[in-house]
Amino acid sequence: MEQKVICGIEGVGIYGVISILICFTFFTGTFLWVVSLKKNYLKHMEDLPLDGSEKNSTDKNQPTTL
Amino acid sequence: MNVETFKYDNRIVRAFAIATVVWGIVGMLVGLLAAVQLFFPDANLNLQFITFGRIRPLHTNAVIFAFVGNGMFMGIYYSLQRLCKARMFSDFISWFHFWGWQSIIVSAALTLPLGFTTSKEYAELEWPIKIAIAVVWVAFTVNLIGTILKRREKHMYVAIWFYLATALTVAVLHVTNSMTMPAGWFKSYSMYAGVQDALVQWWYGHNAVAFFLTTPYLGLMYYFLPKAANRPVFSYRLSIIHFWGLIFLYIWAGPHHLLYTALPDWAQSLGMVFSLMLIAPSWGGMLNGLLTLRGVWDKVRQDPVLKFMVVAVTAYGMATLEGPVMAIKTVNSLSHYTDWTIAHAHSGALGWNGFLTFSMLYFLYPRLYKTQLWSTKLANYHFWIGLLGIMFYIIPIYVAGITEGLMWKQFNKDGFLQYPNFLETIVQIVPMLRLRAIGGTLYLVGVFMMAYNLYRTAKAGEFEPDTEVQAAPLEKTVSSGAHGKLSWHRMLEGKPMLFTVLAVVAILIGGIVEIIPMYLVKENVPTIASVHPYTPLEVLGRDVYIREGCLGCHSQMIRPFRSETERYGEYSKAGEFVYDHPFLWGSERKGPDLAREGGRYPDAWHYNHMDDPRSTSPGSIMPRYPWLLTQKMEMDSLPWRLSALRRIGVPYPAGYENGPAQKDLQAQAEKIVANLKLGSVNAEPDKDIVALIAYLQRLGTDIKNAPVTTAAK
Repeated sequence: MEQKVICGIEGVGIYGVISILICFTFFTGTFLWVVSLKKNYLKHMEDLPLDGSEKNSTDKNQPTTL
Repeated sequence: MNVETFKYDNRIVRAFAIATVVWGIVGMLVGLLAAVQLFFPDANLNLQFITFGRIRPLHTNAVIFAFVGNGMFMGIYYSLQRLCKARMFSDFISWFHFWGWQSIIVSAALTLPLGFTTSKEYAELEWPIKIAIAVVWVAFTVNLIGTILKRREKHMYVAIWFYLATALTVAVLHVTNSMTMPAGWFKSYSMYAGVQDALVQWWYGHNAVAFFLTTPYLGLMYYFLPKAANRPVFSYRLSIIHFWGLIFLYIWAGPHHLLYTALPDWAQSLGMVFSLMLIAPSWGGMLNGLLTLRGVWDKVRQDPVLKFMVVAVTAYGMATLEGPVMAIKTVNSLSHYTDWTIAHAHSGALGWNGFLTFSMLYFLYPRLYKTQLWSTKLANYHFWIGLLGIMFYIIPIYVAGITEGLMWKQFNKDGFLQYPNFLETIVQIVPMLRLRAIGGTLYLVGVFMMAYNLYRTAKAGEFEPDTEVQAAPLEKTVSSGAHGKLSWHRMLEGKPMLFTVLAVVAILIGGIVEIIPMYLVKENVPTIASVHPYTPLEVLGRDVYIREGCLGCHSQMIRPFRSETERYGEYSKAGEFVYDHPFLWGSERKGPDLAREGGRYPDAWHYNHMDDPRSTSPGSIMPRYPWLLTQKMEMDSLPWRLSALRRIGVPYPAGYENGPAQKDLQAQAEKIVANLKLGSVNAEPDKDIVALIAYLQRLGTDIKNAPVTTAAK
């Protein structure tokens, strides 16, 4: 049955090629993208959750910044 | 420098936190009741409202949408404000979201035990509630995007990307899978039929796991884990790849829930390949989380928050390795329909979602109440009893699952099934089902300990409804590029709307690749001349089958294996399901497959079996259904049901529901009553049991009674 379904799609041969191209392009693009990111930008982003503009008393085992 | 003073809203965070704990307890209690019924069916107290078939969806909905859902909103409302340096966009929307979501949960808790269900897993709620979900979800999305737009921080941290992807994708999934034709206030039929319905459902079901249980919690991990460890994330670059890789790949993998079914093979292969590829981003994310703790592992020994997080992230890694392995067709041929799937789901739910939620609660309560955690020791006990609970839960049912799978497939030396009676395979795993309930109890005891600890923490501290902070407003430089040439990435995450569009495109690619073939499949499902629409009595019987949640334990899909065709008969064909709105293939077998049940036993056998399964099958774990013998079938709504089915493509003649249908129903019911008399059973023709027998006796007979002729359109 599956052969009938596949044969029923016009130009089905191109599907596999397109899929690989989409995946390859997507991941290559993402990889190049992240490699090109600047160090100071990454540092800023990494520190965002740790940005402590509030101060609270907390559990002794937990960090004091919020 | 211009500095603005503003307040974070802690009230809404606390509200979602309380809801998380309350619904967590409720959802897990219901799960425990369901688990006990699997080895002690009378635990339903002979009440139809709390019988396994009805409370299984209540349990799954409660833990997914009530426990994890509220946990997700709690974490998002806390972290989003702080990452954006802004109060939530609208307090009114925040509270509309909160009360709207709780109302939906309460309506689910009322309607599912009453038997109002669409039967589609994790999407069981009937159409009025589905509309309410859409409205509340839109409110949440508006609040999310509104807060991002008014932020004071130039950049969107990766956690926010995960939140955005969650909001948008869940909306797309919910709307697509909720296409139903109402047949009354609490009854509807899926617009899709058979194979198409199965594909859409599992495209939804798989991605509900992906975008409700995974992506939002990954966003929360990227915020709360660095926060609790007081260290930046191991690699921000890796988190970007994790995000884009995950949202791009996840959406393709749905068909792995339908391997070896009547779904076309190419769609199954697509699901399998993309599932395997998912290992890469998932493990990238897990390692990113664990490596964030490099250098602070000594803290993990003392801090319960970090302990829970480490197990949560590890469970994420284990579940996301196991999932792709189970998506390999050969592995799936063993694991599918067995308890292995349940073990897999619970390693994710109890380990990843449960433990991450507990860690957030232990993190947030002392901060919201400006105090210390009441008892670190009790939290540590919770950790160990919870971990023990997980082990006692999943290990026995891994064993049970593999045992079932192997026993179903075992042939003796003469080439016959070694265990031809399905019941033998169930009796074998009952001890494991008992152990599983002990594991669930331990886990629940831990949650009670946490609830008490958090209550005492709240009592000891003083709640801070608003946290006052200061920050500089966002300069309008991001979009104008005033800082010179911005990198692609910075441009993108500086523009939330563009980012949102791209994220939607990423998920839609996979969705479209699956949805378009869905329509192609529709044109290519081989029609089988002998397959006819259900008779009016069978329609009502099928609705009883849906109402009682029979598909929670019985599949209707015979896979093309000799072990299955020997046991159940001819394997299932796509063309057999063209009038099945919704499809009822099921995903678990705690009883035998029913796809070819028609004609296997006399009518009286079914009557006695439904009254007391142990009278016909000693040792059976099926609940009794005595109420079906006395409750009247829903004749009044028959015209609504038939006309709704006609509107979505079932070829009933016009006007059939106004007279002729009722006559046909009476005639068929009388015939069944006469058959029952032959088996010394006196029944009335207007009872549910008669309709159910009609449906069960129909199953698979279209193929059995006629030679198969296939003709592609």
